[in-house]
Amino acid sequence: MNSSENKPPRIALEFFRWFCHPDFLEEIEGDLTERFHEYSGKHGLKRAKWIFVKEVLFLFRPSIIGNIYHLTNKNSIIMLLQNKRLILILVAVPTLLLIPLIAMQFSTGVDWKILDFLVMGVLLLGTGLLCELVLRKVKSTKGRIIFCGIVLLVFLLVWAELAIGIFGTPFAGS
Amino acid sequence: MSQFHLGEFEEIVLLTVAILNGEAYGVNIISEIEDRLSRKVSLGAIQTVLKRLEEKDLVKSEFGETTRVRGGKRKRLYEITARGRQILNRTKAQRNSLWDAIPKVVFKFS
Repeated sequence: MNSSENKPPRIALEFFRWFCHPDFLEEIEGDLTERFHEYSGKHGLKRAKWIFVKEVLFLFRPSIIGNIYHLTNKNSIIMLLQNKRLILILVAVPTLLLIPLIAMQFSTGVDWKILDFLVMGVLLLGTGLLCELVLRKVKSTKGRIIFCGIVLLVFLLVWAELAIGIFGTPFAGS
Repeated sequence: MSQFHLGEFEEIVLLTVAILNGEAYGVNIISEIEDRLSRKVSLGAIQTVLKRLEEKDLVKSEFGETTRVRGGKRKRLYEITARGRQILNRTKAQRNSLWDAIPKVVFKFS
């Protein structure tokens, strides 16, 4: 097994390091790591990772965060920004959905229902997360372009099918 | 909870710290509670209560050794203070006095 696979989930650990008060960081991170290895042996790596994420979320409470001043610590922010692309995707989805929402206020040509926003949100989020997955797993530039291109093409085809119906599926729009 | 009364979970954690006698830290406090009481406890809940008990001066702590399985991070070992022992004794006496005050007939037919 790859040694990096036998480690706690990186994003959850970085999130914990960011919010935890520095005075408690060493002991609680040690406890989290020890529990992760214990669960990994008992229940397998996949379940141990889920439990780790759950425990980090349960630790996100005022008594562990302490005062909020340490949250602006530069090193913590740098670690968090390593995931800025993912954060960007999560922010971009509602921002893009604001475009039709605003357009509806000024034009009768745009008339989206709640279901339309929901479907488009799922489509955009799915596309963004799949692209993120490709960028994390595929190392070569050529591979990244090909796989991201396929994801974007599928997104456009599904969108076109839902909007105007080009394949004639039961979900096709008119 | 006030300074002089323990919540139910605070009492359990304080008793467990006393049971572990100087070897109490987050992970083995959880194991001890789960083994003895068959009760699931999260690390967040334990750490919160430990910090609160330390603020109330019912436990004291110091860094212990590190192990490989902890990723090189030290344990924080907790120990009950004289004040903690005093509060536990008082709580036990209060509970006993309540039990003693129950009329015998209450449990006669159960």
